[in-house]
Amino acid sequence: MNSHLGFLYALMIRMTLVLPVFSFVTMDLRGSVPPVPRLVEQVPVPAGSISCTQGNFTGVTIPLKRAGRLLLIEASIGNISGNFILDTGSSGLVLNKTYFRSSLTIDDEEGGGVTGSTSGVSRMIVKRLVVSGLTYINLSADVVSLGHIENRRGVKILGLFGLCLFKNMEVVIDLPNNELQLFKLDKNGHRLGSPAPVVKYDIIRKIEVYRNIVFVQVSIGGKILDFCLDTGAESNVLSIDANKKILSTVTITRRSSLSGIGETTGEVLYGTLTEFSMGNRQLIPMETIVCSLTAMSQKYGYPIDGMLGFDFFAKGKIYINLVKKEMGICLAKEDKK
Amino acid sequence: MKNWRTWIVVILLLVMAPVSYAQFDPKKVCRIEDGSPVFTLDKRWSASQRKEIARIFNLDSTLLSNAFELKPVINDSGNVWKTNKLDAYHIELRRDLEKSAGNKNINEKIFLLDDQWIKLPPAGYPESPPFGVNRFTRNTIVQLPGNWLRLFLPGQKNAKKVCLSGSFNAWSTIQTPMQACDSGWTVTIRLKPGKYSYKFIIDGKWVNDSFNRLRENDGNHGYNNVFYCYNYRFTLGGYPDARKVMVAGSFNDWNDSELRMIRFRGSWVLPMFLKEGTHAYKFIVDGEWITDPANKVTRPDGRGNLNSFLGVGDTLFFTLKGYPGAKKVIVSGDFNAWNQEELSMNKTREGWQLPYVLASGNYEYKFIVDGEWIADPSNPYTVGEGNTINSYLAVKPNYWFRLEQHSDADKAIVTGSFNNWSLHDYRMEMRQGTWWFPVALKPGKYTYKFIVDNKWILDPSNDLWEENEYGTGNSVLWIEP
Repeated sequence: MNSHLGFLYALMIRMTLVLPVFSFVTMDLRGSVPPVPRLVEQVPVPAGSISCTQGNFTGVTIPLKRAGRLLLIEASIGNISGNFILDTGSSGLVLNKTYFRSSLTIDDEEGGGVTGSTSGVSRMIVKRLVVSGLTYINLSADVVSLGHIENRRGVKILGLFGLCLFKNMEVVIDLPNNELQLFKLDKNGHRLGSPAPVVKYDIIRKIEVYRNIVFVQVSIGGKILDFCLDTGAESNVLSIDANKKILSTVTITRRSSLSGIGETTGEVLYGTLTEFSMGNRQLIPMETIVCSLTAMSQKYGYPIDGMLGFDFFAKGKIYINLVKKEMGICLAKEDKK
Repeated sequence: MKNWRTWIVVILLLVMAPVSYAQFDPKKVCRIEDGSPVFTLDKRWSASQRKEIARIFNLDSTLLSNAFELKPVINDSGNVWKTNKLDAYHIELRRDLEKSAGNKNINEKIFLLDDQWIKLPPAGYPESPPFGVNRFTRNTIVQLPGNWLRLFLPGQKNAKKVCLSGSFNAWSTIQTPMQACDSGWTVTIRLKPGKYSYKFIIDGKWVNDSFNRLRENDGNHGYNNVFYCYNYRFTLGGYPDARKVMVAGSFNDWNDSELRMIRFRGSWVLPMFLKEGTHAYKFIVDGEWITDPANKVTRPDGRGNLNSFLGVGDTLFFTLKGYPGAKKVIVSGDFNAWNQEELSMNKTREGWQLPYVLASGNYEYKFIVDGEWIADPSNPYTVGEGNTINSYLAVKPNYWFRLEQHSDADKAIVTGSFNNWSLHDYRMEMRQGTWWFPVALKPGKYTYKFIVDNKWILDPSNDLWEENEYGTGNSVLWIEP
């Protein structure tokens, strides 16, 4: 029952990693605090069955919204409509317990956490989820508290929309135009009934999909590293445990303290990657934060050298073909140079 | 001669060398070793440069000054730092990893980054400006009676789906679909007077309104269009021969070249959005400032002139019964910065009264009867404790907290993120077995709880609640735009 907690814990760390603290949060003496699910063994999270999509769906464009550096899409579950965070770092569907508490099928309230709060992970079956004409039926979803994200961004968040919901699709994330495009693919990874992309991509790379998380190889300081693609990360992240040669290419520009629940627990370093490339293409300067990813790697069950977050996606139009297992980037004008 | 010049250059270079060497470059101060930052400090930095480094790298000023004094071991909030002299100017500051908490724990629990550096648009909903006038090149928005607005998007006949998204629907991409008509797409929505930003979504793509010249940065290298839902019309009758008539007032800092009135059916008019409240104004007819001849409410401006005054919104009456022998009664509150002279109440048969217009919101006030401050005896809602109890007024409340149980309790308080979780406010009123408290809240999310006879409880009638650090939860309330 608790087998998903580790992963959810990891994604919640990731999503809160770079959330700035607004003054009204610090004034909130009894305000919400991020839940801390228990740490348990990591196993993949099934996204449930996507038993149906819209009749003859071949492609759709979904408007993206922003909440700070988070990307939002709107979807409906039953009579509840609202924002979901587009989160390729999450494997499935995650719902905010505040709004779905009454629909739980499995409720693990005994979970508790480091803080002692009763904030375990619960689960439910979503009978019908609709997003821009796409209909998903009988999805399995994890239900956790996401109130802390709402409180920092000032928007209602119904849940997280993970990559598993885009199975057998090509996902085009176009941040400069605030669009998400989805294309249904045949078994060879070609778009069904949609014209081939007219966009000429500047970079095309192979990806690995492990437990519904996309990994791509990048090069920093001449070393090859495994980064995961994560639209839910508000910043790129480089592991502080990377080797000396890699870290020597990072210009550290500032340092912030990290506050846990009323106490300082650590630090995070902000920097600029001066030697970052994908394939033969240099992508510099690339902003990043540097912090430990050891625990996160354990949760993912895969060693992570870093994460490509908002700073990376802001570089241009990015497609991820989940059948061909490849991704491409069409750089924005300023980065084409 | 040549040798002399060469020597000058050499001497200058020698003098300049240490200066240039001590150039202040924060990007070269910090590096990472063994999973921890290492700082290279320069003794030649000025005080302000040292302060800047402390700020950028979040270093305690005491830690930094100890480092410059080359103290070998420095304790700082659970961390132990070591210093090392590199040369005459440079000092290395690094953490003793064995004795420091460092960053070992950052993945052991959820943490928040105290970071004011990332520039994000502010959360929540911005205040409406004091006034606004639309600027369309084609009338694509028509305001109908009852604050209904009809928006029209010409063309786009090949589109399959068009939605209107904006601040009025929390930028929902699905809630406000437009209907196809003969020559485009249209939708009718009902709005409160105010400022709204918007975009169209045509087949999933964000599109601006090309007929609207009012725009503002969308925080993403683009722009949103802006329109105002009107609630007021300035009108000046007569002056048929005037060439230019302007209106200026407290709402636009008396700018006399901003708001030009137009000739309409024998009068000069200007429809606009005007924020609720009381405003001073004047007309400027061909350069001459005049009060509004159709408005009897004028007040001195303190410099020997009169201004016309208007109120937008509902007029409320501050009323104090009794005190027939009082000479002067003033109403004073946070709406007028607790001014003790400004709002003199009028004597009536039953006591004292003052009509006043306030915008929707929560206010505190008191009466001053011949210099003595008193709370409003007829108002059951108060805030504060002891000698600092003020009367509380919610103008146009958009939510009533209610607690149906606990009717036998002595005291019920509703407290939350809207009042900084005050332990004493807001005190609810018991009416027919139910505790009540009205609030006028801006759109957004609020967390709250009731304190019933000193016991904290969730709102039993609200299914929405979220976890808090005490494991007891907070009730959640969303006020929609």
